[in-house]
Amino acid sequence: MNKHLVFFVVVSLFLASCGGGAKPAAQEGVVEINFTMWGAPEELAVWQAIVDDFHKANPNIRVKVNVSDWDSYWTKLNTLIAGGTPPDVFAMDAPLFLDWQSRGALLNLQPYIDANPGFLDGFYPQTLTAYKTPNGYYGLPRDFQTIVLFYNKDMFDAAGVNYPNADWTYEDLLATAKKMTLDTDNDGKIDQYGFWSDTWDMELLWSSVIWAYGGEIINADHTKTLIGEGSARDAWAFIDSLYKQGVMPTPTTSGEFGLDLFQSGMAAMTTIGHWAVPGYVQSGINFDVAFMPKGPAGRATSVNSAGFVIAKGCKHPDAAFAFINFALSEAGQKRLAELGFAIPVLKSVAESDAYLKQPGNLNQQVFLDSLAFARMKPVFKGYEEWASMVGDGLIPVFDGEAELNATLDEVIAAADEVLAKNK
Amino acid sequence: MSKSINKIVLDILSYAVLLFGALTMLFPFVWMISVSFRVPAQQFSRNIIPNPFTVQNYFDLFRDLPDNAFFYLTFNSFKISILSVIGQILTCAMAAFVFAVVKFKAREFLFALLLATLMIPPQVSLIPNFIIFKYLGWIGTQLPLIVPAFWGGAFGTFLLRQYFLTIPRDLVDAARMDGASLFDIFWRIYLPLSKPAIAALSIFVFKDAWNDLLHPLVYLPTDLQKTTLTVGLAFFQQQLQMGGKFTVLMAGAFLSILPLLILFFIAQKQFIEGIALSGMKR
Amino acid sequence: MVYGLKPLGREKFWLWLMLIPTLIGLAFGTAGSLLATLGLSLFNWDLINPPRWAGMENYVQLFENKDYIEAFVNTLKFSALYVPGVVTLSLMVAILLNRKIRGVHFFRTVYFLPTVTSAVATALVWNMIYGKETGILNFLLESLGFAPICWLCTDNAMMSVVIVNIWGAIGEGMIIFLAGLTAIPRDYYEAASLDGANELRQFFSVTLPLITPSIFFQIIISAINAFQAYDYIYMLTRRGQGDSSVPVAVYSIYRNAFHFFRMGDASAQTIQLALLVALFMMIMFWWERHYVVYE
Repeated sequence: MNKHLVFFVVVSLFLASCGGGAKPAAQEGVVEINFTMWGAPEELAVWQAIVDDFHKANPNIRVKVNVSDWDSYWTKLNTLIAGGTPPDVFAMDAPLFLDWQSRGALLNLQPYIDANPGFLDGFYPQTLTAYKTPNGYYGLPRDFQTIVLFYNKDMFDAAGVNYPNADWTYEDLLATAKKMTLDTDNDGKIDQYGFWSDTWDMELLWSSVIWAYGGEIINADHTKTLIGEGSARDAWAFIDSLYKQGVMPTPTTSGEFGLDLFQSGMAAMTTIGHWAVPGYVQSGINFDVAFMPKGPAGRATSVNSAGFVIAKGCKHPDAAFAFINFALSEAGQKRLAELGFAIPVLKSVAESDAYLKQPGNLNQQVFLDSLAFARMKPVFKGYEEWASMVGDGLIPVFDGEAELNATLDEVIAAADEVLAKNK
Repeated sequence: MSKSINKIVLDILSYAVLLFGALTMLFPFVWMISVSFRVPAQQFSRNIIPNPFTVQNYFDLFRDLPDNAFFYLTFNSFKISILSVIGQILTCAMAAFVFAVVKFKAREFLFALLLATLMIPPQVSLIPNFIIFKYLGWIGTQLPLIVPAFWGGAFGTFLLRQYFLTIPRDLVDAARMDGASLFDIFWRIYLPLSKPAIAALSIFVFKDAWNDLLHPLVYLPTDLQKTTLTVGLAFFQQQLQMGGKFTVLMAGAFLSILPLLILFFIAQKQFIEGIALSGMKR
Repeated sequence: MVYGLKPLGREKFWLWLMLIPTLIGLAFGTAGSLLATLGLSLFNWDLINPPRWAGMENYVQLFENKDYIEAFVNTLKFSALYVPGVVTLSLMVAILLNRKIRGVHFFRTVYFLPTVTSAVATALVWNMIYGKETGILNFLLESLGFAPICWLCTDNAMMSVVIVNIWGAIGEGMIIFLAGLTAIPRDYYEAASLDGANELRQFFSVTLPLITPSIFFQIIISAINAFQAYDYIYMLTRRGQGDSSVPVAVYSIYRNAFHFFRMGDASAQTIQLALLVALFMMIMFWWERHYVVYE
């Protein structure tokens, strides 16, 4: 009988603490808003700091910060929206912006912008274009990313090779990468690759290469994929040569070294954005950055941003905008700069010490100067599915299991179908 | 004479096969533990015993976790899993009994319907279920994770039904003649005799609840004090995978399965006894 | 097979009382899962705006959707490899462990370990083990004189993934079979022994027929797990943000629902998968009628 009693008590305790899940009633006059974003665990602490600052300035608004990893973020976001309980403010990746905006999920921020004249003046103009529609802005950028060339100084020093410089072309990149692909412990296996980059999504490498070769990605009204036209093919041939010449591991085998080979110390060079810097610093890589190399048609790189959007069904849009306003102000942007993950969208902050003198002795100015030849990452409806067609489709080519030009034709056809479906 | 030689030969063969299989079962775990105690430079080394041996990876894991988050995460996972087990045993056993023993008109139809719910993968039923829970106002609480355990389940009912069907009918007839009611038969005959199956079911339900990522992710707040271990770990794993920090990744993986392993070791004594005892009874 | 007690009068109350929780669950599950999915498959829903009627359009498109067809075929291939593998292996282990040899306790624990752990955690180790350059499996192969295999390359990925899934499920089947084996009354064995049957014969004439209820259960459950397999495949074969080298049905369904704003398509694909499962279950129930021995 005793045993049963104990059991019963334990179960009741559990069930009682079940109620602990219930939300406490909000205080009088205090508005609560939910802000969700994807990010690394380190970002949670800094955003909480920004939110704490915001609370001091706005005592009657409470912001709840939720940070998830990338995959979890979209699963949860989609479910919440489908279920009719969207978060108030959430993070949006610029390329995906149109998919959400065109489906009416977002609130038009134009009225707020109009009420604050001069609000947009301090921004880098390239960062704003993605979020502008004929009816006004449906989102605002929170930070931006330019892609630059990273190189591991220790590896270059050890091999006695000169660092990449501002005059480099892609041919120089390939030649140096070959010199930097080494079997450092003589066990017959390559343990240092000259170069590594993600070739699935366009941002890290292939869009920049195509533009530098004089090609285009997509046409102006988003009906035709142009990555197979003219000199774009030469760009692909170059990228393929990186694999074929062995300076870069194939997509399937690279996975066993980690998802970012520069960070795991297996690659001497990479092309990526500022978000990777804290991770590299933490991994103890001694690195610096240079401009993306020049192609036959000039120099090009990709600029992208992560933004804030407000859900259409938000019950407290004023409070939500107040928060966004704060994060985009000098105070908020300064905090973000200190975070080190991205570049502030406010010129005044980006060109100040808050950004330029962050931890990590790399040339932060390179990211800013790259804006001069940066092109915006394309934004269009159906982006994710389109990107899958291309990214997934080309992997067999890079793995050495399919031929480049034939596959490009197939891939482009499939990508065009996605565009047609999304018109 | 030949019988015992036969037995010895079969014994040796059995051992050989079982040992080989056991090695295969264990090896990934041995490897996981080994890597978790290595220094990053040696994460791909071929030796099983790490040299040098370090616990730094475990500390690295906790460095980014806010205070006590690990304990909240584990407690939440534990609570949800235990309650799920209780709910499932109670409701599935009752339903299984009815499906196995009692004759009534709708039986075949209801059982088929029950099995049909198994056919929809959880990723798909997620959104319709979410909408239903939204109307009930349960989003943000643990209720969507616990309450469904108390209204039966296809797997549990199916499992127990199969087991109940093997219980000899004469026991039931004898009890009937003594005037036992339907519930008596269930409570006094079927339940006690089904300890192995119930033990098996408990393990499965606990494990599924513990390892569930999708449902806590969506129904619980993304707060490291209110969500479960699986969600918390997913959050950290992405960063680690980025940098190929396998040693820390393995430490995290091992910690995530450790509570379950400990529980299993403690509880399996009961389960093994349950299986052995009922064998002897027959 | 007609069996069962007829409830006596007042007992009808108990009957339904014991069923109520399950009935609630059924209502919820049928409405929430089956009907909702069936319903959604007839619409186009982007999760944001109200669903738009689509009729049979999504189903027709299934046949044109190359990615889905590939996923569906992969699911079939996977299941064909996985189900026989896991059922026979776990049955074999259970039978060996039932033989009253020493160390049963140890073996039972060890074989159950993979099942107890989460797929996400163990997939991380398997990723390391399967590595082409760095994995320990290839190291073993090389030290034995064989050439290293690219386990996760497109050619071998299917087999590698099947192996991991079987590894993770043997314990589950073993427990189920063990429970079923102990339910076989000792007298049958004694009787057979007296008749002069040796162990092997006893297996075929006593054990096998009487374990058919468990085999039946295990085949169905394994098949359903195979059709819905996702975790290990996702963790081991995922390439970057997108595809897997072995895309299976649930993969395609998930991406359509959560990344491509196509809930209608995802639902239609699910229904097709469900029909496959239903077909399989009907075949199994036919088999039950003729081959499964209950008493």
